[in-house]
Amino acid sequence: KDKSAASKDSTPEGASKRQEDGAETPKQKLLDIIGDMKVEVSYRKKLQQLKASENKTQAMNKLVGLDGEGSVPRGTTEDIKRGKPLSPELVQAASAVASSLPRNKKQTESELLAQLRRHEETTDKQKKGGTINIRNVISEMTVKKQSPAQRGVRISSLISLVLDEDGQRIRPERSSAQSVDSRRSLKVGKRLNIFTKASTEPEHALKTVSSPTIWDLEFAKDIAAITAQPPRNGFEEMIQWTKEGILWEYPIDNEVGIEDDAEFHEHIFLEKHLEGFPKEGPIRHFMELVICGLSKNPYLSVKQKVEHIEWFQKYFEEKKELLQEI
Amino acid sequence: MAAAALCWALRAARQVLPSPCPRQVRSYYVDWRMLRDVKRRKMAYEHADERLRINAIRKNSILPKELQEVADKEIAALPRDSCPVRIRNRCILTSRPRGVKRRWRLSRIVFRHFADHAQMSGVQRAMW
Repeated sequence: KDKSAASKDSTPEGASKRQEDGAETPKQKLLDIIGDMKVEVSYRKKLQQLKASENKTQAMNKLVGLDGEGSVPRGTTEDIKRGKPLSPELVQAASAVASSLPRNKKQTESELLAQLRRHEETTDKQKKGGTINIRNVISEMTVKKQSPAQRGVRISSLISLVLDEDGQRIRPERSSAQSVDSRRSLKVGKRLNIFTKASTEPEHALKTVSSPTIWDLEFAKDIAAITAQPPRNGFEEMIQWTKEGILWEYPIDNEVGIEDDAEFHEHIFLEKHLEGFPKEGPIRHFMELVICGLSKNPYLSVKQKVEHIEWFQKYFEEKKELLQEI
Repeated sequence: MAAAALCWALRAARQVLPSPCPRQVRSYYVDWRMLRDVKRRKMAYEHADERLRINAIRKNSILPKELQEVADKEIAALPRDSCPVRIRNRCILTSRPRGVKRRWRLSRIVFRHFADHAQMSGVQRAMW
């Protein structure tokens, strides 16, 4: 592999010198980058294994790319093979730099491209904000144990003040808060939303009262009745009507109230429901007509159609003796 | 038809409304004939599916005639008020059986009354 590279590098060398005169400042920048970079040995071996298959095509691409200036499509095809989009100017500069260095040019070029790819990956990650979340996780883990519990107590006390005006409720609230304190590590604390969708605050976890009593419902109704002021203008009137159900919601949804989740094939192909019927005879003929009609009916749900067919099945079962006489 | 029956059922003399409704609510039907009409509509709604299916067996040239005769007898055995033919589109305000316009469900007299007082949306005296 090295010998073929050495033989082919003689021609690109001449072309690369022409390019070097034209593009000195980017090359200088690249050289600085190379000076900072550290070449990895293990990576070289991996690249060698990769390159064994792509050798000839790469050499061809390089020759054409360095000779002609229309190397943009070639550079992109090269990149596509590697599976990562790098800008063609970077690729050209990398190839120029690699050819200028005294060492094995192909390997250095491949290493440069790999470094560029890694840079791009990190920039993409930072754009998506992936690394920042991990930092958040780590910072959250070092929070002291006292503060979430204290926060929980504060929140529970707030809830008890806001919701219940009677003094009766505060005791069970406190006991619930205390019981929660014992298992604070699980439920108390700000959720990190790593595994689940953004759920609501831990106040819901703290409130352990299961179902509201009748007095709570009545209280809520009284509050609603008092706060329901008559509408000040036409808009508020329309809002009230929409809430009551007198006015439809705009833009009009034709499928309000209809929750037919069945697919079209369940509506049309109803022959599987015909298994209880005899396979020949006038009854089968009749039922096939029924099914034909049902499949064209857009107004019934699948359940209703199945019930229709089952009614007929039951009916014919009852009339079996009569049918056998015939 | 069935919708009218249901919404009138809420306002019938039988039930007390659970939710506090701020508007005026009529708690009786206009007369007994209207009540009977309401009952017939309810029954027709309940038995509609059965009647449809038995009729499908009857009005058929494929099935044997003995079966169709049995179906005839069955449909005659259903309650008399369950057939839709017995329903009469009465005026909803006066229960007048004749002179009722279907679009408004009102008798001609009530319709004229409301239209002249400009309480019918989009209705105007004809002049040409």
